Amino acid sequence: MYPQLTKEAYSQFPLRKQRRTRTVTNMAADGSSIKLADPNGAITEWQLQYEGLSDTELSNLQQFFAAAEGSLNGFTFLDPAGNLLAWSEDLTNAVWEAGPFLASAGGATDPFGGSGAFHLTNSGEGAQSVSQTLNVPAGYIYSLSVYVQAAQPTTVTLLLGSNRAPATAGPNWTRIGFTGSGDPTAASIVFGVELPPGAIGVFGPQVEAQAAPSAYQKSTTGGVYGDARFGDDTFSFATTDVNRHSVTVNVVYANHL
Amino acid sequence: MATFPPLKTGAVAQYPATKSLRFQNQIVRFVDGNEQRYRDSAGPLHQWVIRLDQLDETELASLEGFFLSNQGSFASFIFIDPWDGTSYPNCSVASDQLQLTSVEELHNTASVTVTENRG
Repeated sequence: MYPQLTKEAYSQFPLRKQRRTRTVTNMAADGSSIKLADPNGAITEWQLQYEGLSDTELSNLQQFFAAAEGSLNGFTFLDPAGNLLAWSEDLTNAVWEAGPFLASAGGATDPFGGSGAFHLTNSGEGAQSVSQTLNVPAGYIYSLSVYVQAAQPTTVTLLLGSNRAPATAGPNWTRIGFTGSGDPTAASIVFGVELPPGAIGVFGPQVEAQAAPSAYQKSTTGGVYGDARFGDDTFSFATTDVNRHSVTVNVVYANHL
Repeated sequence: MATFPPLKTGAVAQYPATKSLRFQNQIVRFVDGNEQRYRDSAGPLHQWVIRLDQLDETELASLEGFFLSNQGSFASFIFIDPWDGTSYPNCSVASDQLQLTSVEELHNTASVTVTENRG
């Protein structure tokens, strides 16, 4: 697992991310074309530029690079520029686990004026939740955020591992958030929202491996890349001062590997 | 059919934006220096270079999601010409590569070239 910095961040700005797909194109003389997609040929690359790393942070990165033997071995990488949750605008997708008395209705108006929000109705007697389990190190710092809305002030609970944080949903869309970490020995962690009997609107659940949420990012496949690799076999760094180092790291994820 | 995602402002492009149109003509040159030219296509094809700056993370994710859902240059979508509002129903991303840069929070950049397809 790619190490998190001690400052509870996963990367620094500027961050470069490149998406590459593969399309086979047969171009005719008149400019028309026949195309064939190759979904397995997609590659995602990140360039992480670190400045001001402490001795400990540099050592962690260096040890991790050595353990991976450069580009040889794969590791789990969390997209620092993406929402770690999958299908953030489809709470009926199989990646989400909903309580048995929880009904989800999509197509509701979201806070951005679109129709990506969900109307969740808990018809049970007790609290019900909708959650997603991510296969990521539970001991990292995560920020969970979600937009909620309810006709009457309603207390909803954010779930982050075994941690729970209450928040209030009101008539206007409000983004609620919770930062924390789970069991440091666990290899997965659950993120979710729990609601009491009644109905609330939910939009844009988002998880990031950092201490505070950034602007909402719609997701489909999610930002957990299970078999990423270093893009290079070389790890070089510069020491700019006492306990200050800079290093640039390239990480690659290929669908076909 | 999908439509190229607008920014939060409703615009699809920012300055500086580039637009080009390309004909597909053929030339046959003869030994005496004469030449004959003929059209090898039904009309021009348009191309737009969309350079985007100061995007927030939501807008950047929307663009990235659009690129992925199109599988890069594979799929077609509707593009509204930001110059004159003309709707071009058969366009695609020109490249299989999309570069996204996060300069700082709420400051992201990207560049996409959209090309009109024939047929």
